[in-house]
Formats: sequence, structure tokens, C-alpha cells
Amino acid sequence: MTELAPERCITCSDEAVEAEVVAVDGLEAVVRVAGAEERVGVDLVPDAAPGDLLLCHAGIALERIESRTEGARS
Amino acid sequence: MKYVDEYRSAELARGLASEIAGLVRPGETWRVMEVCGGHTHAIYRHGLEDLLPPEVELVHGPGCPVCVIPMGRVDDAIALAEEPGVTLATFGDMMRVPGGRGSLLEAKARGADVRMVYSPLDALALAAKLPDRRVIFFAIGFETTAPATAVTLLRARAQATPNFAVFCNHVTIEPPLRAILETPGLRVDAFIGPGHVSTVIGTDAYRFIPEEYGRPVAVSAFEPVDLLQSIAMLLRQRAEGRCEVENQYTRVVRREGNARALAAINETMELRDEFEWRGLGTIPGSAMRLRPAFAEWDAEELYTIPGVRIEDPKACRCGEVLTGQIKPWECGVFGTACTPERPLGTCMVSSEGACAAFYAYGRLRRPAEEPVGA
Repeated sequence: MTELAPERCITCSDEAVEAEVVAVDGLEAVVRVAGAEERVGVDLVPDAAPGDLLLCHAGIALERIESRTEGARS
Repeated sequence: MKYVDEYRSAELARGLASEIAGLVRPGETWRVMEVCGGHTHAIYRHGLEDLLPPEVELVHGPGCPVCVIPMGRVDDAIALAEEPGVTLATFGDMMRVPGGRGSLLEAKARGADVRMVYSPLDALALAAKLPDRRVIFFAIGFETTAPATAVTLLRARAQATPNFAVFCNHVTIEPPLRAILETPGLRVDAFIGPGHVSTVIGTDAYRFIPEEYGRPVAVSAFEPVDLLQSIAMLLRQRAEGRCEVENQYTRVVRREGNARALAAINETMELRDEFEWRGLGTIPGSAMRLRPAFAEWDAEELYTIPGVRIEDPKACRCGEVLTGQIKPWECGVFGTACTPERPLGTCMVSSEGACAAFYAYGRLRRPAEEPVGA
């Protein structure tokens, strides 16, 4: 296990981080980031569901993260 | 940790570094600008420059949202914070950015009600808790952050929250990139495109860079392996005679971006005629203001904004750092009169700023023969 970057940008203390959805309640979701839970708005990803991975920034989810089948490996 | 470990794999990083070394042309320097401050931070934090051959030079770009805010806008925010009955909410870094009259943190010490929030949604929630005050969110940031402000405005309208407002300073990424590309004498051969901005605007938004300016782009994520892979992608384009926009951050970024986020921005905001950028001057159509339909939540409609214009301190060379013309340590006040504890320029304030990132991670490794404050 690797620690999540401890020096997040403090512009918003929330430089787009990848978070797992725990529960969804209307336009709000509880997400898990580095073991802690926080609330984010899912206005822009309205079909978010528990288990989804979301890219979150400044208190809202910007996008769903696709299953990692490409990206890091050339 | 899922989605982190694999992108920090030393084995993958070494493999990519070896591939990069095989793709350079010996003795021919190739300058790659990473547009985003988050990339700058990651490059220094993980020591990626040490893995690259000397032919690949990384140039830091203008993509730190805090760093590009001119000092006068900070003074405007301070003026708003000092209005009777106003609570000004903003992100942590913005509280430390020096304006001509000190910072928002200093205004708070003088008695202004300034609060740090993680999200504009927190500012809206604060307004509900403080019905006798008007909570103004000092909004900054590129297209990454604008959707959060837009969503908050849409919620404020839906909830009919009367005591919330936004002082909108959101900026857009394309105009400053064009300004940089048109800087006389600028030597940048390729671009690492911003990952999170691209989540919103999509990779097609950068097609003008290869098509009009003949430079390749790789939109990149933020982990060390991501960045190395992006550099390898750019070098491969050169080797294969291609010049196009490629997407390294395929796990999140799509060609067309996030339509819902773009629609939320478009519903709430419109382009300003012009906006002043630190280091880049005034750029037409480079920032957003609230649309008239949101006038009742627009701090610029509700209050008189002084519109302060302040020259940057002469000793501060943030402008040249932001446009990649000099490295942080080439500024005469870097690490002496300007430190993260007492920043003179914005590049030293935000942890995404090139100066702060270099101060935190890179200064001890700088070769002794390179000049300080040349």
C-alpha cells in the first residue's frame, strides 16, 4: 500500500482526487478517500453508484474513472 | 493503493526512462512545457527530472490557478471582505496571496470575516448557517474548478438562497496557451496537457496547438509513470513524424470532455471581454463572469468592486517563471526575500506554483555551478 500524496495542493485542499463511492443520497455522495469519508456533489455524474470510482475536485465529482485497462502501460 | 501504486512503479518508470533516452536526438535539446501546476508539483516531488536525459528539458507553464491571479484582484477581494455584513469564503491558498494591501489572512486578522472552505458548496452551506450575513465565495481556478462554482450557483438558485454570492475570477486555459505560443522567441517544442482541466473540456480543445502552431500535445495524468509515459508519447510522435493531440489520461479524460460540466458552466457564466493575468498581461476572452441571469448572486453586481490595478513587485519575476522563460532559481529573490513562509510572488504561494515546488523539493539538488539569482 502506498500513502496517498500527503501534499495535496492547498488551493482547494482537494486537487482532483480519485475517490470510491460508498453511498449516494440525491445530489450528494459519501466517498472514501485514503481511508476517510467525505461528501461530494454528484450533480455532474448523476448516475454514480456505490463502488464507482470518481474524480473529485473542490467538493464535486467531475467524472467517473473507467476500469484501468490502459493508461499507465505503453 | 488502487490507482496509485501502479502509477508509481519504479520498474515501469525505469522502463519508460530508458525508452525516452532512446528516443532523444543526442545533443539536441527538446523543451517540453507542462502546462499544469499539478504536473510541476509532481515532477519535483518525484524527482522526474533526474530520470530524464539532458536532451529533454521541462519548462513550467502557467497552469497554477493561484499563481495567475493579479495582485489587484486580491485587493478587490479584501475590499469585499471588509464590506459590512459580508463573510468572504475562499480556498486556503488564496488567503495567503499578497495583494497591495496585504493578504486576506491579514485582512482577517484586522477583523474581516474571511473563511477557508474546501468547496464552493461549503460556502453555500455557510450562507444557510449565517442568514444575517452575505457569504461571498471568492472563486478562482481554471475549467477544473469552474464546474464546482457553476453547480453551486445552480443549487443557490434552486434553493433560492438570498445571502450567497460569487466573486467570479474563473479563467480559461486556451487563451493563455495561445499567448505563450505567440511569445516572441519562446522555445517550447511540445506540451504536456493538463489532466484535470481536460476532464472537463476534453482533448479536442487542444487541437489548435498541433494544427496552428505545429507542436504535439499529450494530455497527462499526475503520477510519475503517467508523466514519463506522456513524455515518451511526445517523443514517439516526433520520431514517427506525427504532430497531434494524444491522450495519456484515458482512464478519465475523453475527447469531448464532460458535457454536463460544460453545460453547467455555460448556463451560469459567460466570457469577459478581457482579464488581467499575472505575468501574461491582459488577455481578451480569457476569463468568465456570471451571466445576467445570475445577477442576484453576482458580487460584482451587488457591490462596487474597486478594480485595483497593481504592478507586480519589480524584484519578482513570476511572469517569466509562468511563461517558462526562466527557472525559479534564476529569480533574484527566490529563496531569500521570497519564501513559502513570506511569499513575494504568487508562484511561491501555492504548492502548485513552480517556485514553491522547486523550493520544497528541488533546491537542494540544483547543480552548484548554476547561478542563483542570475
